[in-house]
Amino acid sequence: MSASDYAKGYWNPFLAGIALGLVLLLTFFIMGTGLGASGAIARTAAVLPHTFIPEAVEHNQYFKVFYKTGASYPLIDWMVFEVIGVFFGGLIGVITAKRFKLSIGKGATFPAINRLLLAFLGGIIGGIGTRFAMGCTSGQALSGGATMVLGSWIFMMTVFATAFVAAYFVRKEWQ
Amino acid sequence: MNAPLYLNEVISVHTSLFVAIGIGVLFGFVLERAGFGDSRNLTSIFYFRDMRVLRVMFSALVTAMLGLVILNRVGLFDYSMLLDYSLLKTYLWPQLVGGILFGLGFVIGGYCPGTAVVGVASGKIDSIVFLIGMIVGIDIFALGMPLWGSFYKSSDMGRVTLWQYFGTSMETMAGIITIAALCAFVLAWLAEKWAPYDK
Repeated sequence: MSASDYAKGYWNPFLAGIALGLVLLLTFFIMGTGLGASGAIARTAAVLPHTFIPEAVEHNQYFKVFYKTGASYPLIDWMVFEVIGVFFGGLIGVITAKRFKLSIGKGATFPAINRLLLAFLGGIIGGIGTRFAMGCTSGQALSGGATMVLGSWIFMMTVFATAFVAAYFVRKEWQ
Repeated sequence: MNAPLYLNEVISVHTSLFVAIGIGVLFGFVLERAGFGDSRNLTSIFYFRDMRVLRVMFSALVTAMLGLVILNRVGLFDYSMLLDYSLLKTYLWPQLVGGILFGLGFVIGGYCPGTAVVGVASGKIDSIVFLIGMIVGIDIFALGMPLWGSFYKSSDMGRVTLWQYFGTSMETMAGIITIAALCAFVLAWLAEKWAPYDK
């Protein structure tokens, strides 16, 4: 294992995992559902264009469920509130560890502008992926995985298998 | 004990939103402490440099899985409510295609949605760009619904678990997954020694 600077100062991964598992267990105990993230981003992706083209968004085949009559404002939602919590929880973590730093995560010699272009492209592809899969690493892989859901395990295995193969083609991005 | 509390209407929708923020804070804090606010720590796994992602994910998954099975066993948690009402449904082909796209997005973009939010809190500019990309991607998906809307809802297998699919018990399946996770930890350790990209 290469002990790079960016990998130092964090919790032991097994202890971090157990802590994460206990948070997930608590979530299931209270809510009966697990953690999530991409659902909140999907609601944001509806609300932003809704400011300019409300009709189109409300009639969109995918977004219309967020705007059905009687429903509250799309951002008044469990997962949206949870993700706002994630931001503040992350902020508390970063500040208490004195780790806040404006920077770009990339391989040492990879050009910053290329990294940002790939971050944007990866975001687009991953974003589309979350909608077909109906979730992401949090909702499907972690929460669905812990409740032994068939589709979540298929998703998880496919994600990692694809990423291990695709990694070869973007190795310079991370070297 | 009436757990899960929300499904049993022990707590209200209103209360659940406060719970959501509290749970989110814990989630975000642990993700940060795991090192997941930095895309380099998230993609290292794909180059067998640092298998941290696998260790964190599988130990979290096993902890929650065993916790739920045990709480169900001792009568503190009603697992049947998940099976009847809240478990994620399986859509075989869309989830496979979604997994391929998500895997590409993960290694190219460097984040997944939750970790990108922690990345923003950490000051990582690439995570902000990644999240903007995700929003654009989801809008592209929504625009393309006339094209792929029927595929998106296809191969609906309902709420089905691995133990139901393989015809075994919840406890046996949890045991198998735990052993598989332990094997994965050993393989991860070997993979780091191998480190094919760093020779």
